[in-house]
Amino acid sequence: MTTFATSTSAFYSRSTLDLTSLRAQAEKLQTQISSGNRLTTSSDDPVAASRLRALSRTDTLSKIDTDAANRATSDLNLADSAMTEFSNTIIRVQQLATQAASGTMSDTQRSSISTELKQLQGNLVALANTRDSAGHALFGGQTGGDAYTVDASGNASYVGTGSAGQLALGDGQTVTRGVTGPEFLSFNVNGTQTDIMSVVKTLSDALDAGGAGATTAANNALTSLQAGLDSVTTAQTVVGSRLSWIDINVQRQTAMATSRATEQKDIGGTDITEAFTRLQELSTVLEASQASFTKLSGLSLFSMLS
Amino acid sequence: MSSDLLSIARSGAKAARIALDVTAQNIANASTEGYVRRTAKMSEVSTTGYLGQTSDVSLSGVRVSQVVRNADAFRQSEVRRTGSDTARADAEVTGLSNVETALEQSNVYDSITSFESTLQKLKEDPTDSSLRASVVESARTMTNTFQIASQQLDAVGNGLHFEANAGVTEVNRLAQELARTNVRLARASDATSDQTSLLDQRDNLLQQMSQYGDIATTFSPDGTVKVQIGGAAGPAIVNGGSTDALTAATAADGTITFSTASGASVALSGGSLAGQNLALGKLSQLHGDLDALAANIVTTVNSVQTGGVDVDGNAGVAMFSGTDAASFSLALTNGSQIATAPAGAAAKSLDTTNLDSLRNALGNADPAGKMDSILFDVSSAVSGRTVTRDALKTISDSAKTTLAAQSGVDLDSEAVNLVRYQQAFQASGRVMQVASNIFDTLIGIR
Repeated sequence: MTTFATSTSAFYSRSTLDLTSLRAQAEKLQTQISSGNRLTTSSDDPVAASRLRALSRTDTLSKIDTDAANRATSDLNLADSAMTEFSNTIIRVQQLATQAASGTMSDTQRSSISTELKQLQGNLVALANTRDSAGHALFGGQTGGDAYTVDASGNASYVGTGSAGQLALGDGQTVTRGVTGPEFLSFNVNGTQTDIMSVVKTLSDALDAGGAGATTAANNALTSLQAGLDSVTTAQTVVGSRLSWIDINVQRQTAMATSRATEQKDIGGTDITEAFTRLQELSTVLEASQASFTKLSGLSLFSMLS
Repeated sequence: MSSDLLSIARSGAKAARIALDVTAQNIANASTEGYVRRTAKMSEVSTTGYLGQTSDVSLSGVRVSQVVRNADAFRQSEVRRTGSDTARADAEVTGLSNVETALEQSNVYDSITSFESTLQKLKEDPTDSSLRASVVESARTMTNTFQIASQQLDAVGNGLHFEANAGVTEVNRLAQELARTNVRLARASDATSDQTSLLDQRDNLLQQMSQYGDIATTFSPDGTVKVQIGGAAGPAIVNGGSTDALTAATAADGTITFSTASGASVALSGGSLAGQNLALGKLSQLHGDLDALAANIVTTVNSVQTGGVDVDGNAGVAMFSGTDAASFSLALTNGSQIATAPAGAAAKSLDTTNLDSLRNALGNADPAGKMDSILFDVSSAVSGRTVTRDALKTISDSAKTTLAAQSGVDLDSEAVNLVRYQQAFQASGRVMQVASNIFDTLIGIR
C-alpha cells in the first residue's frame, strides 16, 4: 500500500501555489486582451519584439518617404503647370513671329510687335524663376536663389546648378524632384546652342532694328521657336512620367505599409478569440480550484469531535 | 506481587498527558515556519524479578522515553540546495528585468529612429529652418534618452549592490545566530523539548542562509553544525561557536567579489548573492555596449558633419560631444549649423551631398540595429533565465512541499492522536478505579 503523506501546511502551501499561478495566468491574459498587445516587455518574446521594433522603425522612415513623394508630386505639378504657361507663351511668340515674317509689315508695326515680344520675354524669365512649394527656384536645380538673372541689356542667363536633387521614395527608389532651366529652355538649332529667352530677345532686337533683316530674323526665329516648343513639350512628358513613377511608388508604399501592419498585428497583437477562450477555460479551472479548496479546507476531523 | 496496579495506571495517565501535550503543541504550531512535527515515543517500564523470584510479574507501567522530531535530513538539505538555486535564478531575473526596463523604457531605440527620420526629412528641403530645428531637437532627445538609459542602468546597479550588501549583512547575522545555537545545542541534553526546538531553530537558520548563498553543512552527533559557504570546497563561516564574517568588495567592472574576514576567497554558485552578481556582470557588459554605441554615434556623425558646410556656408562643427552614454550630449546650438552641403558650397545651398554622406555613414554604423541587438541581448537573457527560474522554482517548491508533507503537522492525524491519548488517559483512570475496587474487595473480606 502506498501512503501519500501530507500535512496541513503542505496542503495550504500547495493550494496557494496552484491558485496564485492560475490567477497570474488569468491576469496576464486579461492584460493581453485589454491592451491588444501580446507582448508587455521584450522578454515575453525577444525575437518577435525585435521584429516589431524593426517594423515600427520601417514605418516611421517610410512615412518620411510618403512625405517626400507628396512634396515631389507638388513640385513636379508646379513645374508641369509652369511648362504649360511656357508653351502658351511660346505659341503666342510664334504667332507674332509669323506676323513679323510677313513682307507686308511696316517697321512701325514690327516695332509694336517687338514691344509685345519684350513683354513676353519678361514673362518667360519670370516663369523660369517660378518658386517651388518650399520657396526655392523651381527650375534652379540646387541653388538657393533665382534660376535666371537678367543683365542690364535684358539678356537672361542661368545661374542655377547643373542638376535638380533627388528624393528617396523608399526601398532605394528615387525620383528627380525637378527640372533645371537649361534642361528644357535650352535647345540646339542648326548646331548652335541657344535658349528660348535669347531667341525672343534676338527676335525683338531684330524687329526694333527694322529693315530687310527683320523678315529673315522672324523666319529664323520661327524655326528656333518650334525647336523650343518641342523641347518644352518633351520636358512636360518627362515630368508626367516622373509623376506616374511617384504614383507607382506611393502605391507600393501603401501596399508595404498594409503588409507591415498585418505583420505587426500577427506578431504583436492579441488573438482575441484564442485569448478569450483561454481566459474562459482558466476562470473555469480557477473557480473549480477555489471551490474544491474551500471544500477541502473545511474538511477537518475537529469539526466531527464534540 | 511486586507490580503495583495504581502506579502502573499513574504512569499510563502521565504518559498519556505528555502525549496529549505533544499533540497540543503540534496543533498549536501547525502553521509555524520551520516547525517539525513531534511524537512522544513511549517505552515499557518493567523490571526483571528479584533473585529467586524470576517468575514474578514485575511490571511498572510506561514512560515517555523520547520526544521524536520527525525531520528528514536529506529532504531538508534538498530544500536548502534547490532553494539556493531558485534564489540565485530569482535574483538574476529580477536584476535583469530591471536592466531590460531601464533600456527599453528610456526609448533609446525610438529616439535613434526619429533622429534618422528627421535627417531623411531634411533632405526634402535642406534650407528649411523648421526641418533643421526638428533635426536638432530629435538629436537632443536622442542624447537625453542615452543619458536616461545610462542613469537608469546605474540606478539598477546601485540597487543590486544595495541588495547584495544587505544580503551579506544578513548572512553574517544568521552565522552568528547559528554559532549561538551551536553553543546551546552542545549543552542541551539529548531528546528534550529544549533540544528539539534548538534543532528547529538550527534548520530554520540554515534554510534562511541558503537563500543568500550555496552552503555546505556538516552535522556533528550533538546536533551542532559546521557551515561552509560557496559549496563543500568553500571556507567555513560557522564552526561550532565561532564565525568568520563574509565580506563583499566591488570590482572595477561593478561586479562583487566575496571573501571571508580571514582572507579566504568565496566563489558563490547559488543563492541571491550569486544571482545579483550575475546580473551585475550582465549589466556591466550592457552598459559597456551602450557606451560604445553612444561613442560610435558621436564619431560617425561628427566626422561627416565637420567635412561639410552649414546653411551659411561656414565649415561644419561637431554635432555631438561625449565619449559614453552618460556624457553623450548635443554640441550644436542652432539648426543652421547642420552641414548638409559639401565643402565649398555657397550659402543657402540646396546641395545635400554631405547630408547624404551623413545618412550613409549612419546607415553603415547602424545605431538602431546595434540598439536592437542590445535590447535583444537583454530581453532574450531575461526570457531564457525566466524559463530556468520557473523550472528551478517548481523543483524547489516541490522539495519544500515534500518536506512539509513529511515533517509538517497534519491536523487530521493530530485529531486522531487527541482522541487516542484522551482514551488512553481515560483508560488509565479506569485502571485506577479497578485498583481501588480490588482494594475495597480485599478490605471487605470478612
